[in-house]
Amino acid sequence: MGIDIGSVYSKGVITKENELSVFHVILSGGNYRTAAERVRQELLKRVNLTQDDIANTVGAGCGAGNVYFASHRASDIVCTARGVNSMFPSARVVIEVAGQSSKVMRINKQGLVANFVISEKCAAGSGWFIEVIANVLRIDLEDFGPLSLKSKNPIAFSTGCAVFGESEAVTRVAEGIPKEDIAAGVNKALADKISSLTKKIGLEEPCVISGGGALNIGLIKALEHGLNVQLLVAPQPQITAALGAALLARMKVKGADLGK
Amino acid sequence: MYFAGVDIGSTMTKIVVTGTNHTVLSSIKGPTGPEHRQLANEVMEMALERADLQLDDISYVVATGYGRLNVPFADRQITELTCHARGVSSLFPTVRTAIDIGGQDAKCMRITDGKLVDFVMNDKCAAGTGRFLEIIAATLGVKVEELGEVSAKSTKKLQISSFCTIFAQQEIVTRLSDGESLEDILAGLHDALASRVAGLARKLKIEPDVVLTGGVAKNAGIVKAMKANLGCELLIPEDPLLTGALGAAILAKEYSLEAMAKGEPSPAKPRRLEKATFFK
Repeated sequence: MGIDIGSVYSKGVITKENELSVFHVILSGGNYRTAAERVRQELLKRVNLTQDDIANTVGAGCGAGNVYFASHRASDIVCTARGVNSMFPSARVVIEVAGQSSKVMRINKQGLVANFVISEKCAAGSGWFIEVIANVLRIDLEDFGPLSLKSKNPIAFSTGCAVFGESEAVTRVAEGIPKEDIAAGVNKALADKISSLTKKIGLEEPCVISGGGALNIGLIKALEHGLNVQLLVAPQPQITAALGAALLARMKVKGADLGK
Repeated sequence: MYFAGVDIGSTMTKIVVTGTNHTVLSSIKGPTGPEHRQLANEVMEMALERADLQLDDISYVVATGYGRLNVPFADRQITELTCHARGVSSLFPTVRTAIDIGGQDAKCMRITDGKLVDFVMNDKCAAGTGRFLEIIAATLGVKVEELGEVSAKSTKKLQISSFCTIFAQQEIVTRLSDGESLEDILAGLHDALASRVAGLARKLKIEPDVVLTGGVAKNAGIVKAMKANLGCELLIPEDPLLTGALGAAILAKEYSLEAMAKGEPSPAKPRRLEKATFFK
């Protein structure tokens, strides 16, 4: 079992050997320990198993310490790399767009992380920026990407800050600018930040995008345009790290040394 | 002769009307608001009324600040950096470093003999500006004007680890639920803002005397935190919001005298108090 407690969503996965059996995603809420417990219960219920059937559990994410039933903790970077490697063994660069951070990592063919950069100081460099603007535009997150693709004139945000960006979006709405142009503008702004992060690591194909941001088709297109690359999109991109955590849990059972 | 400086900031609009010897005859501060582009004339009317003057009595009007292009009755637009530097030097002739924390930006200026010689500014990120405090105050349900007073009761040093305003907003909710006190959290936030601005200021060489201006300078908690972060004393004007408008009025006088020395009329042409119409 792998449990990834993120700042916004908590994700869980059960694998049978190396195959995904079931996954579950919930909002983390204020209490990470409760979130971990809820994810575990739902996972077990869905595949009709009990805790005794689980050979090992690894916790990941910013709330990894709250996965009290895990034998090990692993960083979400290590887990994401592992998860991506299981789906795309040839992947060399992984772009992870999460709720409160973005990470770009370079991985080898064993799924080990060679190098990474992380942006976690600024909401405008994370999926949170999209949430803020979706809220201004009063549209659901799942509609954000498709809507933005309809834009012919994406607005250029004059700021790199989510707080100022929110005010700017409000002004543009008041000016009668179509929602799709604002949504496309935000995707472009976030894609620009992630592109420059990616260039620090050095782009190499195949390049995979994962994390909740990969559910936003508009962001993917903007990134592909900005980086001039075709991205591979992780299926169920939110659970990549949880899947990696479950795979690490299995490796541990098979005798690998994961440290603490 | 009378002169006026109009400073349209992102958050507040300030107007100063002066006489020949820089005496302030009237000053006014009001929220800029979303319609600021059309409001300069109304604020000017109030300022004139207080000074018991007509617009034609004013020899020269200088507009400054982020909205300076939206003042159709101004004779000249001058950047806020120049106006701040001039306003601060007139109040504190010994100033070498001026730090202005505004509603949506922060500026640090090096001043030599009353002239701006170098500056750094942050207008890209809400952290380290008045906006940070506004958002935090709203989150905590405390009035912005009361933040300083509340933070003064803090008994414990608490570090706010988030840089981003949005993440800090979330962090304080967590801190409150962890049982930390409002006073300690506020003091921690003041320290976070001060360290951000001090970091900006250190890109310049900080030399005394150091003057702190802008609306944020009215917050005693920030003043204390800034002193601690910079490791020096700070001079604060009686009304820290007005230095830009004051500097604009002083520059208005200089331009007016210059025009008259060349034999040109001042005011150059009849003016009307009207709304800016070039923006919808």
